[in-house]
Amino acid sequence: MIRGLSVLGLLRFLAVALAALTAVALGSRGVGLVPDLVLPVVVAGALLSGPSSGALLGLAAGWVVDLMPPGSQVLGSSALLYAAAGLVAGAGRREGRAPIGWVALVVAGSAVVLAAGRVAAAVLTTAPVAWVDTALWLGLTTALGILAVPPLLWAEQALARRRPA
Amino acid sequence: MRRPTRRRPLLVLVAATVVVMAADVAGWPGSSDLRGAGAAVLGPLERLVRSGASGPVDAGGPAAGRVRLGYETPALGRSLEEARRLSSLLEAPATRAVRFVPARVVAVGAQGASGPERITVDAGSRDGVTKDLTVVSAEGLVGRVVSTGPWTSDVLLVGSADLIVGVRVGRAGTLGSITGAAGERPRPAGQLSLELVQRGTLAVGDPVTTMGSAGGRPFLPGIRVGTVSAVDAARGQLAPTAVVTPAVDVTTLDIVGILLSTPRTTPRSPTQGASG
Repeated sequence: MIRGLSVLGLLRFLAVALAALTAVALGSRGVGLVPDLVLPVVVAGALLSGPSSGALLGLAAGWVVDLMPPGSQVLGSSALLYAAAGLVAGAGRREGRAPIGWVALVVAGSAVVLAAGRVAAAVLTTAPVAWVDTALWLGLTTALGILAVPPLLWAEQALARRRPA
Repeated sequence: MRRPTRRRPLLVLVAATVVVMAADVAGWPGSSDLRGAGAAVLGPLERLVRSGASGPVDAGGPAAGRVRLGYETPALGRSLEEARRLSSLLEAPATRAVRFVPARVVAVGAQGASGPERITVDAGSRDGVTKDLTVVSAEGLVGRVVSTGPWTSDVLLVGSADLIVGVRVGRAGTLGSITGAAGERPRPAGQLSLELVQRGTLAVGDPVTTMGSAGGRPFLPGIRVGTVSAVDAARGQLAPTAVVTPAVDVTTLDIVGILLSTPRTTPRSPTQGASG
């Protein structure tokens, strides 16, 4: 079980690092609005493991985002935001296979948590909020999550079946 | 039974994260070490992903030379475009008679609700880049270096709420300051807030340039920041305020220059006024 979990943990870490790296690299290629690529990995893991583990996964993923240059303006802020998103996604765990509508709802809820955190950070520093861009980002992130989370869920379950407890 | 055991490490780690956040906001030097460690491990990966096999930006490279001589070959594609941008950076007023390290943007940070605030460039401490150096593009001021790793540096962009730049406005050179924070007046995202520190007049179209800092850190003087695009109606305050459109579009940055400011080492020679 521990060995299975550590392999799963390593794969999740690699997926998060790859997603975070791709996101900052896409930004440097002139892609104006990059959806959140890390969130689907967090949501898929949280949907299978529950709120506490989901929040832990989110916290770890957020630290990768915080430390991936150029990083966050305040170290640890992304970690807390993704932990909250993982907590929300983990609260949506259901026994058996989750219907796509439910997955979409959980993804949207987690994306709203991230967007609300970013807006709150902007408001706290009195920075102007780009509402249209934020709404577009929310839509893109939710759409990507709906597409990416089911295959990730399937892959995680397949890995868990290969390494039974 | 598993969940309560997971809850305790979660609470401990969340508490530790909150402590690191508070320490970072308070200016704890260890946060720079953390960022530096992240840059040392992940920076080379970003360089590899962005630059591929094209290597670092070279101001004396053959492609840059061809562009300067006028022998342009469309077949060279991206490297030619890069050389053209480098060429315009070399001729820009911001880099005139200043030693600088040319660098390529390899990462743009996760967008906050008001746009990108930080970028990473592919030049680091091994290239002579240190904290608090001015970063420019051919159009004007980009930001300042806030953190360096061996191979990459992080730049805080103009327009970030945390970056305040001392500026001179218009022909009179009236002193003021610029920030991305909106303050009491609402601003569209991507625009800068200008506040004069003395009485003076502002007009739409006035150029805004950096005032310069002691020792040239973090800002060298005379670099274009933007243009006044709207003047706020006076509401009883002593110094006028305005909206400034930045000279640089931070979403389309590619090649930038990190200006190597050198402090004055030769004392200025004294002089004497005219006698009776």
